[in-house]
Amino acid sequence: MERGGTAGFNRFYKHAKSSSGLSIVHGGSSNSNNSNGFINNTANSNTMPPPCTVREQDQYMPIANVIRIMRRILPTHAKISDDAKETIQECVSEYISFITGEANERCQREQRKTITAEDVLWAMGKLGFDDYVEPLTVFLNRYRENENERTSLRAEPVLKRGIDYGIGSPIMMAPPYGQPGFHVGGHHQGIFDGATAMGGYFRDGPGGGAGGGSSSSQASLTNNFDPDPFVQYK
Amino acid sequence: MRQAGTYSGIVWGGISGKTGPHLLPLARIKKIMKKSSEEVKMISGESPIVFSKACELFIKELTQRSWMVTIKGKTRTLSTEDVASAVLATDLFDFLVNLVSESAPAPLHPKPPN
Repeated sequence: MERGGTAGFNRFYKHAKSSSGLSIVHGGSSNSNNSNGFINNTANSNTMPPPCTVREQDQYMPIANVIRIMRRILPTHAKISDDAKETIQECVSEYISFITGEANERCQREQRKTITAEDVLWAMGKLGFDDYVEPLTVFLNRYRENENERTSLRAEPVLKRGIDYGIGSPIMMAPPYGQPGFHVGGHHQGIFDGATAMGGYFRDGPGGGAGGGSSSSQASLTNNFDPDPFVQYK
Repeated sequence: MRQAGTYSGIVWGGISGKTGPHLLPLARIKKIMKKSSEEVKMISGESPIVFSKACELFIKELTQRSWMVTIKGKTRTLSTEDVASAVLATDLFDFLVNLVSESAPAPLHPKPPN
């Protein structure tokens, strides 16, 4: 059975139902299970995967996470067929692509290079997901407030802070802030200390992230609680 | 030291923190966003955060609607057909129509590319 080798074809193939959730592995990666480089429990053809094969699981949200969210909504006794789990997994990816496409078009029209959270929210509103915009806005605002607090914690003793979510220690201020090359900062100045590795640091240009980005984290501690521009989208 | 994982939970996808649980991996979201089009160049750090919550809302809505179909059939197992029915019955999910109609028949057998 041939596995989809390109993104466009993956839609046509169902991924393997192995419990590990793995299917195709890069041709060069270490996989001692068989010479084809497949890890799954279905019978394989003798097809060698092309060297640039993307793992199917990379195209989707991890199924365990999807299932966990589904179970929050379903009654305890509900069962979910494996196919349904995979279908919903695919739907999520499709949703992300759908919204991102619209957000990206807007960026292109406005000649911006970076898709921002505001673009995403705008696209959702435009594509009919208005009901999501408000809770997402709240969520994002809360996230940004946390970020501000986190930044200010770097400069002041933690005990002084009246933060109610239990940040007990400055130790957690260590920069690896997420995935490498993935800057989580949005529209605030100076979230990161200038010494933080900034490889792959994404930031939009003319948007709210003024100040050229990365340094002067201490200087800008107190001025970042303004409501964010995107609230006007609701 | 209290609740060491609060911030790292936010970023790494743990279930903690006042912003609400991040149930979905941000790096994966970013990957999918980039794959959606050749023209996607850069993505702000917050976009995947928004998406993580949005996908949660989306999964919940789709699951709920599918379940409504399931219980009409008096079974307790949510199937792909139920998902397909929910998609077809909801205008908001029009973008999924092709996807579910591919999924419905013989899901384990790959279709030849057109």
